[in-house]
Amino acid sequence: MAAEPVIPDFGEASDCVSENRLFCPDWVRDNWDPVLQPALVEHIKLTAIAVGVGFVLSLGAALLAHRLRYVERPVAIVSAVIYTIPSLALFQLLVPVTGLTVTTVEVALIGYTLLILFRNFLAGLRSTPPEVLEAARGMGLTQNQTLWRVELPLALPAIVAGLRVAVVSTIALATVAAFVVSEGLGGPILGALRLDFRTEIIAAGALAVGLAIVADGLLVLAQRAVTPWASARRVT
Amino acid sequence: MFQRSNRMCARSSNRVNHDRRWEVIRKHNRRAAKAAFAIALGVAIVLGGAAAAPAALEKQQATPIIVGTKNFPEQYVLGQLYKQALEAKGFRVQYKENIGSTELIDASLRSGRVTLYPEYTGIMLSVTFKRKTLPKSARGTYLAAKAAYERRGQTLLKATPFQDRDGIAVLRTTATRYGLKTVGDLRKVPELTLAAFPEFETRWLPQLASRYGVRNVEFTALAGISAYTLLSQGKVEAAGIFTTDPQLISTKYVVLKEPRNMFGFQQVAPVLSRKLVSEYGTRLTSTLNRVNSLLTLRAMIAMNKAVALDKKPAAAVARAFLKANKLS
Amino acid sequence: MIAAALDVFVDSFQFIVDERELILEKTWEHIVLSGVALVVSIAIAVPLGVVLGHLHRGSFLAVNIANVGRALPTLVVIAVGFTFLGIGFTTVMLALVVLAVPPILTNAYVAVDEVDRDAVEAARGMGMTPFQVLRRVELPLALPLLFAGIRTAAVFVVATATIAAIAGGSGLGEILVNQAAYKVEGLVGAAICVSLLALAADAGLGLVQRWLTPAGLKQDVPAFEPDVRPVV
Repeated sequence: MAAEPVIPDFGEASDCVSENRLFCPDWVRDNWDPVLQPALVEHIKLTAIAVGVGFVLSLGAALLAHRLRYVERPVAIVSAVIYTIPSLALFQLLVPVTGLTVTTVEVALIGYTLLILFRNFLAGLRSTPPEVLEAARGMGLTQNQTLWRVELPLALPAIVAGLRVAVVSTIALATVAAFVVSEGLGGPILGALRLDFRTEIIAAGALAVGLAIVADGLLVLAQRAVTPWASARRVT
Repeated sequence: MFQRSNRMCARSSNRVNHDRRWEVIRKHNRRAAKAAFAIALGVAIVLGGAAAAPAALEKQQATPIIVGTKNFPEQYVLGQLYKQALEAKGFRVQYKENIGSTELIDASLRSGRVTLYPEYTGIMLSVTFKRKTLPKSARGTYLAAKAAYERRGQTLLKATPFQDRDGIAVLRTTATRYGLKTVGDLRKVPELTLAAFPEFETRWLPQLASRYGVRNVEFTALAGISAYTLLSQGKVEAAGIFTTDPQLISTKYVVLKEPRNMFGFQQVAPVLSRKLVSEYGTRLTSTLNRVNSLLTLRAMIAMNKAVALDKKPAAAVARAFLKANKLS
Repeated sequence: MIAAALDVFVDSFQFIVDERELILEKTWEHIVLSGVALVVSIAIAVPLGVVLGHLHRGSFLAVNIANVGRALPTLVVIAVGFTFLGIGFTTVMLALVVLAVPPILTNAYVAVDEVDRDAVEAARGMGMTPFQVLRRVELPLALPLLFAGIRTAAVFVVATATIAAIAGGSGLGEILVNQAAYKVEGLVGAAICVSLLALAADAGLGLVQRWLTPAGLKQDVPAFEPDVRPVV
């Protein structure tokens, strides 16, 4: 039929890899470009979209609930129910509707951010002391002006605190996305579990945890920058 | 009298204030509702646009070449080989790795989310087309599968020389202990424990009982851990394996002979939508055929070893192979 | 799209009915696994958190450990446990406990730490020993918040146990990680069951939390609200 193929030498595995040691820097160096970096970038993208859309939806819902009291309960209950459902289960429940795609993953991740962000945003909006509201009313500000110039700035600490929790949680949850579609840092981890390959697990795991820590740190800095007066207080 | 009129004045002015406040509240309710509605609509439009745009674009162009793979290393290698060989010939190729089991990837093929993927001829008949009896030769299996696909709008290109069939392996020490040479010898093992991918249980255990008399097998389905790990750790006595597994290079494991060909014939052939053939012609098909013709058992095991054991990235392994054989 | 989805959901209910023995067995395994992990985590985290809160020490650690716990992806903890300990019960239990301890610990600490200082001082003034203060004043007042942490952890453990099936854990997760064997209907069926399990655990523990809350604070206990206090 055809001639015998040339089988090139693919290179021996280093001792570290063949002995399946805990961490092989040479493997990480060789596989950074093809495997680890793309997974990291995908992970960041997944998180960014989820938190971004969740932010918009939660802010809108919180603004609405701030004006119309009866909105709060339904939104709170729905978001709490979604949050309580285990992530893997929620993914699989969405698969029949949106398929084995990134959309399924994003919808679930967005759902998980809703509880955190909505509750924090609403608490922040409501945290304006009544005297300040009266002073604003006394100064002649309309309700909308009060919202933009007084209530929202005072809600910033809660908003950023909520974002912080949401970002860290979403980064952690996005690893489970690998059960549905091969995106994000969960992919290398699942593959390495199947092959019993320690370095890949440690490398991808460290990246996921590191990403969460870096994101958290950046948001703490943002929190301090936005609210220099509240750095010592605990927001509940 | 003054007091009464004062009180009435107070009440009426209260009512006016009350009405005004109610008006203000209603106005702001409306405004808030409008704002919320606008935000929600905006988000919905953006999301809907983002979802619809790629679909709209797709309709205008030719059938895209979307290579898909199942979720194990051999498939990653095959997928990368096809992808890179086609790209070297100037095609634009999308790549969706790690889709999942046969059922899932076939569903993706039928829905158009994937337009080309490497499949095993026996699996084509037994799983995708749910045939109960399989042909008695490799060529027969290939031709039957091809005919079945062509009735559905897909087709097969040429098959590989190598076959990746199911098999049962045991540790060499186990084989010596019980005198195991063929699959039928497993009858000698009391309370046999066997681990394999979940499909093994429904696909092969009944035939193992009916054709070889091996019954009462305690089956463990693999979910995330490799069967070879379980064998080495002594957690199971036998494992369902595949004949191109690179772990089999080691003398630690013995693959039991299977004289009745129960496991069928499993060459690999690219399954692709017929539209790809008609739109891209021989430049596409001859490239893939040439790649497939080079895949002997030795070549596939070598590449599997590089990816699964030496942990090289599949893309690099495929690239090296194609380059060495002047295909990229 | 929606019609196809409805088909799958109908099939999944059929799966639950057809395979009810399997579902019941797996649900029971899931409950047992989660329960044991939760009890172990409580045994570790509650004494530690309560003592630290009573002494008002170690606040930075105790308060931030919940943040650290939230940053640890479940899959990573399980996979790392696998690299060290292989598959099996130990790995799974270790992963579950590692993930469940932080919220319980932080809540235990904050609950005792934030007990009204006046009440504590009054008790001290009445001549109670520190241990008596802890037992008769701080703990009862801290119980609602402490229990909120346990409630959060319970839901979290049910979710984590689902994923732990990939490293040999038992329970409904075994179905959820095995698409090839159980197909979409099986996975959706198991997903429905585990969701109901989590919601039931949360609601049930919510009732207990309400029962434990002194009458004056009852309205603070929400029916369905996991505790995600952001800690600054």
